[in-house]
Amino acid sequence: MNTQNLPTPTAKINAAFSGYFPTWCPGCGNFGIWSSLKSAFNKLKLHPDKMAIVFGIGCSGNMNDFLWANSFHALHGRAVPTAIGVKIANHSLPVIVIAGDGDCYGEGGNHLLHAARGNHDITVVVHDNRVYGLTTGQVAPTAFKGAKSKSTPGGIIEVPVNPVALVLTQGATFIAQGFSQDMIHLTDLIVAGVEHKGFSLINVFQPCVTFNPANSYSFYRERVYKLGADYDPSNFRSALDKSMELEEKIPIGVIYKSERPVYTDSLNQLKTSVLAGQSQNTEFIKFINEFV
Amino acid sequence: MIDFTVKIGGEAGFGIMTTGLFLGKIATRSGYHAFEYSEYPSLIRGGHNVIEVRISDALVHSQTSEVDVLLCLNKETFDLHAGEVREGGVIVFDNEKTDESLLKKPDRRISYVHIPFTRILRENQLATVMLNNIALGVLMQIIGADPDILNKLIAETFARKGEEVITKNQQAAALGLSEAKKDFPEGYKTKLVKINGVPEKVYLTGNEAFGLGAIMAGCRFYCAYPMTPTSALLHYLAAKAEKCGMVVKHAEDEIAVINMALGASWAGVRSMVGTSGGGFALMVEAVSLAGITETPIVIVMGQRPGPATGMPTWTEQGDLHFVIRSGHGEFPKIVLAPADSEEAVRLTVEAFNLADKYQTPVFVMGDKYMQEGHQSVDMEKISSLPSVINRGKLLSQEDLLKTGQYKRYLVTDDGISPRALPGMEGSLHQANSYEHNEEGHTSESASDRIQQVEKRNRKNDTYLAEDFRLPEVYGPKESPLTVISWGSMKGPILQALKETDGLFNYIHFSRLWPLDKAKLKAFLKGFRRFLLVENNSTAQLGQLLTMETAMEFPDTLLKYSGRPIYPEEVISKVREML
Ligand SMILES: Cc1ncc(C[n+]2csc(CCOP(=O)(O)OP(=O)(O)O)c2C)c(N)n1
Ligand code: SF4
Repeated sequence: MNTQNLPTPTAKINAAFSGYFPTWCPGCGNFGIWSSLKSAFNKLKLHPDKMAIVFGIGCSGNMNDFLWANSFHALHGRAVPTAIGVKIANHSLPVIVIAGDGDCYGEGGNHLLHAARGNHDITVVVHDNRVYGLTTGQVAPTAFKGAKSKSTPGGIIEVPVNPVALVLTQGATFIAQGFSQDMIHLTDLIVAGVEHKGFSLINVFQPCVTFNPANSYSFYRERVYKLGADYDPSNFRSALDKSMELEEKIPIGVIYKSERPVYTDSLNQLKTSVLAGQSQNTEFIKFINEFV
Repeated sequence: MIDFTVKIGGEAGFGIMTTGLFLGKIATRSGYHAFEYSEYPSLIRGGHNVIEVRISDALVHSQTSEVDVLLCLNKETFDLHAGEVREGGVIVFDNEKTDESLLKKPDRRISYVHIPFTRILRENQLATVMLNNIALGVLMQIIGADPDILNKLIAETFARKGEEVITKNQQAAALGLSEAKKDFPEGYKTKLVKINGVPEKVYLTGNEAFGLGAIMAGCRFYCAYPMTPTSALLHYLAAKAEKCGMVVKHAEDEIAVINMALGASWAGVRSMVGTSGGGFALMVEAVSLAGITETPIVIVMGQRPGPATGMPTWTEQGDLHFVIRSGHGEFPKIVLAPADSEEAVRLTVEAFNLADKYQTPVFVMGDKYMQEGHQSVDMEKISSLPSVINRGKLLSQEDLLKTGQYKRYLVTDDGISPRALPGMEGSLHQANSYEHNEEGHTSESASDRIQQVEKRNRKNDTYLAEDFRLPEVYGPKESPLTVISWGSMKGPILQALKETDGLFNYIHFSRLWPLDKAKLKAFLKGFRRFLLVENNSTAQLGQLLTMETAMEFPDTLLKYSGRPIYPEEVISKVREML
């Protein structure tokens, strides 16, 4: 986007995290996610200097200029490994990934599995609009079978990916689903996700009003339901069952939560200080001596 | 002068490489220099492996085509390599496993030493893993080395496995030694008599030198996906990680590798990745990301013959253009290509300083030949290397607070902007993959674009003004013929130079990019006639020099068989031209 003619950013004046006013299409589901993120960060009392957001490339990733905190606008599909690197380097920083479904489940799908396996302590917020917004509406891996788009005029042949089941079976320790219109609920999910120690995925249903009229606000309003107090997110089996509710009725809320040591906890090198704060190893002579 | 080569061959999986390494260490601990070269197929078991160790009382830079002692642990070694044994040399083979009358012996005076390896194993109920100890014992007798050095090496190697294992290994070596004494009491004419009063030596591979350089430079994050010839760098650093406080990550693929490293570097940690051509191809998009986000990173690029999977365990210098041109878009990058262990440590340390100074990708190129072979170097040469850490314009918390409104991509005269780290107070900024303004916000305005392109390009000018070095010249100043090469081919060329008492001189490029056209042209004009020597088929350095200086380099010695160039090949080409 072009920031040239935009109004003065608000961040420096008052509200933390507020950058330029978004350039998304009016009515885009991204607005709801944006507001929820800001509310969540405020609730969590995060400081824009002392956190890191890694953005993917897409309409979603364009939030880089609307949501201000220290951030790395990464490559398409690569926000997750970039975020893992940040976390290893400074595990005292909260690290959040903001990416699209094409970015995270398509181009960078492989990274997601391995991030879950490693239980890297990052929170991945995926804007699930079932299309590639930024490149004008081709199908995303989350598109329902048969969805027609510029790249699939005859309807997509593949069945959609199942992000929840995918990361659940690969060792993710926090999995939630939200709906961009239910911002209070989504805010709580983001707070819980960031507070969770371990890998967390928050898949957010986000209507793309321009390129995906089929999966509109009303489509989701008719289908989503909140997981109640009777639902036990610590039960792997029931989480797996919930993950299969994909089309008729769609659960939102925390689908799974468990505890497992996070990646950086297993590294003795990080026991006393963060990696970024460590100084030169002055005892390299002993490493040289090993080659005699 | 002492200068001889021992070659050991056998089936893969029988510890041939360890035998070679021990022999090299015995030589260096006896006060000699050693150079190791190995050939093996891309197989784990059953293939034919050979390793050769050239030992000299003077500095030795490369392998040679003539062998003094050939130790055959299978018949194939005899069949393939007996012809390389020089007049008066020695061939060791298992006369009980191989019918001597079936061997095609070279038409030369050679001593044949009969060692019944398989019978020794059987009679002493030793496992086949002991074969290399027996072989080493045999070699101790043939080259007259001190068996105590071997015994001590065994004791150190198996220290953690206990007394019993040590004794067993030492006994196997003693069996080999006494068997060789029986059949060949006089030994080879050249003896490895311990030399005292010479500087202590270290014996390491290029991969280990890269690792050591990274440790010395304070690298704290090494990320890689295994790929020959750079896998051993991952293994070395993984083994040392806790001891040196580095996090070593074997990630899911090379794309993840470099993006993780960039994330870690952005957050303030000196980071390095290592790979070979195929893996590097996957990293290329992120090289460009490092360019635009101005994130420092050191990339070890170990070449092997391509295209695609190519010849995984062989050597080539085929990726120079690929590396120099890697990454879409225009941005500065720095390419170094060390030749030997000493250069590899030194330039790796320097690569980190350059990466921090210029906030851009810096490459350290190697190849199978220099990365996998051990080479001796005087310890003092490594331990005295400057390990000064220069983090360039990285701001301290204090400085940052004094800055006021922080601008990550501040336009500066030298093109380099002050760098703050996430987590610091007042650090709020974006590292942006999109073109951006000074603050880091995405911008498509023509003026921001022009400003940032020029700012990044100015880093090139700053490098040329402050860090460009002309290539080094070896040999006599005045010479009718000048050899030009780069990276690992320095070794065979220096060896040729030495063996011809300076018949030519040699221009060695270890800093390949960027080049200062004017200085380079003026420098090259000072020489008369050139011979370009490269381990590839298209003379990539030659093309680069032509592009930069408009000079032509019609005379070439190019080798692209997957094997390194031998000093003998350089000598005969030089003689042909003079
Ligand atoms: C390697 C690479 N391939 C393709 C693109 C082009 N591209 C940019 S965004 C995008 C897809 C965006 O879809 P999604 O990730 O779902 O995000 P959305 O725009 O829907 O938020 C593509 C294909 C790119 N930037 N990089
Ligand atoms: S194209 Fe779709 S996703 Fe992108 S901004 Fe417009 S409505 Fe939102």
